Amino acid sequence: MELNSKSSKGKIIASGVIPFVFLIMLMAYIFGPGSELLDLGVPLPEITMEKINFLDSEIQVTVRNTGPIPVEVAMADINDRIQPAAVEPDRYLQRYETALVRIPFEWNEAEPYRIGITIEDGTRFEKEIEAAAPALEPTFDLLIFFAIIGTYVGIIPVMIGLLWLPFIKKISKQKYHFFLALTAGLLLFLGIDSVEEALEVSKESLADSFNATLLVTTVLVSSFLGLYYTGEKLVNRAKTSRIAKPVAIALMISIGIGLHNFGEGLAIGAAVGMGSIAFSTFLIVGFALHNTTEGIAIAAPMSRGKLMIGKLAAMGLIAGSPAIFGAWIGGFVYSPFTSVLFLSIGAGAIFQVIITILKWIREEGDKNLSSAAVASGFVAGMVIMYLTGILI
Amino acid sequence: MIVFLVAIVTISSLFIVFPEGINAQQEENTFVTHSGAIVTTTGEVLDPLYTSATVEFDPMEYLRDFNYGRVSQLPDGTTLREFTIIANDDKIMEVSPGVFYNVWTFNGTVPGPTIRATEGDLLRIKFINNGEKEHTMHFHGIHPAEMDGVFEPVGGNGGQFVYEFEAGPVGVHPYHCHVMPLEEHIVHGLYGVFIVDPKEKRPPADEMVMVLNGLDTDFDTENNFYAANTIPFYYQHHPIQINTGELIRVYVVNMVEFDPINNLHLHGNLYKYYPTGTDLVPSFYTDMITLSQTERGIMEFEYEYPGKYLFHAHKVEFSEKGWVGIFAVNDTRQDQQESGEYGT
Repeated sequence: MELNSKSSKGKIIASGVIPFVFLIMLMAYIFGPGSELLDLGVPLPEITMEKINFLDSEIQVTVRNTGPIPVEVAMADINDRIQPAAVEPDRYLQRYETALVRIPFEWNEAEPYRIGITIEDGTRFEKEIEAAAPALEPTFDLLIFFAIIGTYVGIIPVMIGLLWLPFIKKISKQKYHFFLALTAGLLLFLGIDSVEEALEVSKESLADSFNATLLVTTVLVSSFLGLYYTGEKLVNRAKTSRIAKPVAIALMISIGIGLHNFGEGLAIGAAVGMGSIAFSTFLIVGFALHNTTEGIAIAAPMSRGKLMIGKLAAMGLIAGSPAIFGAWIGGFVYSPFTSVLFLSIGAGAIFQVIITILKWIREEGDKNLSSAAVASGFVAGMVIMYLTGILI
Repeated sequence: MIVFLVAIVTISSLFIVFPEGINAQQEENTFVTHSGAIVTTTGEVLDPLYTSATVEFDPMEYLRDFNYGRVSQLPDGTTLREFTIIANDDKIMEVSPGVFYNVWTFNGTVPGPTIRATEGDLLRIKFINNGEKEHTMHFHGIHPAEMDGVFEPVGGNGGQFVYEFEAGPVGVHPYHCHVMPLEEHIVHGLYGVFIVDPKEKRPPADEMVMVLNGLDTDFDTENNFYAANTIPFYYQHHPIQINTGELIRVYVVNMVEFDPINNLHLHGNLYKYYPTGTDLVPSFYTDMITLSQTERGIMEFEYEYPGKYLFHAHKVEFSEKGWVGIFAVNDTRQDQQESGEYGT
């Protein structure tokens, strides 16, 4: 009997492995020596300038080979005027390899520049910078500056939003459902906003070969499913442990919003770092108003449990403080790829939270999702976000 | 244990065999920026600084290279000059360090050889087209219609044609391929200079040819490089050596496409300018001429003071993309020696 099961196990393994063997043989045949069979068409080289830093008397460009063939960096220019430059570590770039091109240049702050890189076949690639701004050095002052911005944009608005809790606590069930739906509406807006932002960043700074749309989709779905699974576990455990279900849901919401704010912080830090926006007080006010609504999202489910100020404050921090870390990372070590990644993770987290809230409303509200309160709340949430979003 | 020992032995032996090779990675290179700063890098330098050792086409050799052909005398006393010009369109040349471009050539170079004759000579140019496409040779000047190189395309892969006409008028003229699409055939490099000397020679001088040209390496109908004699920045890094008090005569031909005009500015001096070189009396005394497509002329000047003098397009875009050079004027006059050097 045992022998039998062993041999059947072997069969299973073999039947799983055999297709792989054929796949490897196919690869070997296509890429192997003397196989000019598939040598059709003209592969076009492509490079992408992912990051441009303006240093003291020097412009540094991070270049990635995003085409199908190896390339050599041959020449650098500023505003279409050839400049002596250096490429580190060397000018040969395999697929997806990066190099740093250093172009000594006395640039002027706030002026636009077009940076050009020419490769060995004479093709010139160009990237335009709207306004040159000195690259940020991770100084202590700047660290504090970003922390303050993060606090204004992330923590304080969320905390203010949480102050609505006593109000939400006292209202009727119908109105409570309205606020829960409002939260879902707010979050849907944020989710779409994240996806849009991720696609925008990838369009601007990521090469086509990264398949931006599919990258965003894949990360978003993975993040959604991963959090959905852990969220369900958390809520189920909440039933048996001391944690109340509303607390579990509020925690999920704050984690989701925290991930979103991390992405938002990245965007802010990167924008300041790349000099593409001037950080005005107006902009901070806009972000703050916008993010106050996120506090309501956390407060709404919590209003049905006991008032737990400590837990509430902790959730505010979970939701708000990632904005600070995001701003630090975005400002000092920005990379468009990680930015897209985090924005997509944030979007996935938010969509997961929406599902959780809708389920919560359904359970609370007699299996009914189509009440006037829910519908109007949802729409109101999106409209509020849209209107406060205009300020940014 | 044994593996460990073997590894140590191999690594240490590598250090003994290639003591330089391993350190080479850390070696630092330096280069000079346009504003004179010296920058150090651990990587490679991207500077259009062509060393003679790597240059495929030597602008310094081309500069003073005049082809008078195989000379013989016809029964009536006319001088016959015979040339063989071979066209090709498959050559890949490193036009600027690290940049490779498909040049179309007359006798293997861009510009093609400078053809020189005296007014009244009979020219017989055997043209062989070894390219893939049709090509011709179209000379600016006076000649019969069937020698114009327009309606008689010469087929590729060995097609032949003999251009025969009397050299004239006196001056400096371009020749180029005249097959459609014309712009493509010209910008790839099928052009050269044709000089017709007057029967009474011009005064002796240090003579040179400068073809002002551009290279559109990415085919977007905008030039990526400009130069005097094809290689960008070449005469800046390899100054043209001339002498004080010596007459310099430059035959200038503008072959830049896409951009409507080109120009030439000389530093520290003015030159006598003979448009098209057809007259023996200069039309201008200037340090700046403006040239349209195939516009050309002769410049004559002499330097009084030794030192380095720039010459470049005062359309600064062109000079910052390669059309810039230096005359290094050497002091040859003994009586000037004590006066010391200027600008030091």
